[in-house]
Amino acid sequence: MKFSLLLFALYILIKWSAKTNSKFKRYIRKSKVRILIKTANGKYARLYIFNKGKISSRAGNTNEYDVALIWKNANVGFKCMQNKEKDASFNAAANGNLIIDGMSVYAQWFENGMKLIN
Amino acid sequence: MAKIFGGHLVGKYLKENLKIDTVFTLSGGHIESILDSFSKYKIRAIDVRHEQTAAMMAHAWSIYTGTAGVCLVTAGPGFTNAVTGIANAYLDNSPLIVLSGRHPLRDNLTGALQELDQISIVKPITKWAETCHDISRIPEYLSIAFREAVSGRPGPVFLELPPDILNITVEEDEVVMPQPVYRKIVTSPIASDIEKAAEYINQAKRPLFIGGSGCGFSEAQTALTEFIDKTKIPFVLMNNGRGTLPDNHPQCINDGCFTGVMTTLPQADVIIAAGIRFNWVLESGRLFPDAKVIRIDINESEIDRNRVSEVGLIGDVAQVISKLTPLVKKHNHSEWEEKVRKAYTAFIRTELDQRSIPSFPIHPNRLVAKIQEFFGSETYYVADGGDTSYFGMCGFNSNFKSGVLGPAGSLLGCIGTGIPFAMAAKIANPDKQVVLLNGDGSFGFNGMEFDTMIRLNIPVICIINNDNAWGMIKHSQGMSIGYDNLSCTELGERHYEKMVEGLGGYGELVTKDEDIIPALQRAVDSKKPACINVLTDNSVTSPATIQFYQNLTDF
Repeated sequence: MKFSLLLFALYILIKWSAKTNSKFKRYIRKSKVRILIKTANGKYARLYIFNKGKISSRAGNTNEYDVALIWKNANVGFKCMQNKEKDASFNAAANGNLIIDGMSVYAQWFENGMKLIN
Repeated sequence: MAKIFGGHLVGKYLKENLKIDTVFTLSGGHIESILDSFSKYKIRAIDVRHEQTAAMMAHAWSIYTGTAGVCLVTAGPGFTNAVTGIANAYLDNSPLIVLSGRHPLRDNLTGALQELDQISIVKPITKWAETCHDISRIPEYLSIAFREAVSGRPGPVFLELPPDILNITVEEDEVVMPQPVYRKIVTSPIASDIEKAAEYINQAKRPLFIGGSGCGFSEAQTALTEFIDKTKIPFVLMNNGRGTLPDNHPQCINDGCFTGVMTTLPQADVIIAAGIRFNWVLESGRLFPDAKVIRIDINESEIDRNRVSEVGLIGDVAQVISKLTPLVKKHNHSEWEEKVRKAYTAFIRTELDQRSIPSFPIHPNRLVAKIQEFFGSETYYVADGGDTSYFGMCGFNSNFKSGVLGPAGSLLGCIGTGIPFAMAAKIANPDKQVVLLNGDGSFGFNGMEFDTMIRLNIPVICIINNDNAWGMIKHSQGMSIGYDNLSCTELGERHYEKMVEGLGGYGELVTKDEDIIPALQRAVDSKKPACINVLTDNSVTSPATIQFYQNLTDF
């Protein structure tokens, strides 16, 4: 539940930043990318759709993404996504807590974007 | 006393003094006397179908043999056709010697056939470009050209030889044949800088060694082996430095490819960058703002280019590392190395799945995996194309120096280089298998060189990753202007294998996963230059395209 709320809060933050944060606005203005964040069992999932500056999102698991960040479980995902350390995702991947499905270059793009708004 | 033609002086000096036994060329009237000298002095002339190939093959020859590559082109269009190859070698810092015909000096400004100011055209893309005006100085000019090509940071040179001096004779005794000089650069960093670098390395918790073409050209195998064996630092070798240590070396993380590099660099606390430029591929050094960077380069202008280094060590890579190794402590970075491997493996899981699972249409990653499975690591691989270069560079591994090259990934981004590079690899290593993975778009540039392969018996096996398109551009356009608005990106399904068959080689079309390996076996058994045309999934793109697209649209 906490994780679902976090994913929803992230959507609000992204949407807000897309309107108010000039660096982030610039960063996303030409990108068409679908990022799915979910738990490995698919119970918690949210899709973030970046469409040339416009943001939309929907809860729930789907296969229609460019990249999926798959957390081992909600607890791990919750902790790691709130961790501001630059090596948080790297460590999570190395520890088996995070798997990337699809093109990881999009995951890096997403992570770099998040650095602009966090 | 014996007289000698100017053109014959060229062959004589190349063979007897510079020990050049192979020249890449395409015939022409202005250079007839030089061509004649090749027979006399037993220089092997590899005559191709387009001068671009001659220049690219000579460039590749320098990489595969460690010696300067020589190409000979005729005046005018022969020269202009070679320009792309010269520019590619220039941005790749390769010792290429271009000998070119030109219009007669006698006919300057008269509207002579192929009259062109070639020197002005070629100056910005060479280290040295001159015209020889005096028959008796031909050997001297050749010696300078050679010296300039191989000294310091290597690069292409251009020597123009007019028929006025090639087609006349001189008393052979009157010509001075200078001893060729190749002085290994002995520029050395000051001791305190080496000590400082060693200190950073000794204190590093998460070090990474990243080497480029400078490692290859400096023949750094021994020095690098000692350094890595002592420090156990994980390493990546890129560009023409790939294979300086084999891909299967225990500390090598090349199997993580582009993603492995991009994932690991930001995490490293000390980066030793040797003979590699921080150019757009490495995001101009922006990826690792917090790391201590030790840069080793033969060219001082690279040391702080795009990113100020904490320590700059100017000099030949092998020599500098040899000085550094005694000062670094034995270390064990296995925990860090394991972490790196696990992290990038999690990031490239999809690519690993694509390699292991059969698919229809065939996924390019799967195609590469099957090729690797069949040919193994005792093979020279070349990958050419946009996305195709990415798939090949990531999926192939070899035990040989320069055993996996993606020449289109050099700074000029010059697709079409695959066939010339593969041909040069085969001539340089006739007993080894040479496999070329070619995009269908890039195949078109030099595909006619299959005639050369068949004529001269250069049995390269070319596998076309055929997505019926200029894939990288198609998918970039898809991201920017949309897939409904694609412009000039579709190529259609073409039977390149039949073209090769028509020229006398072996050809086969493959559409199914299970047919890949049998087709490769038949290609090998044919002992002919072969083209296996594999239809692959045209909806697929690579991370390289994403980076390429982002780089060109971030305005």
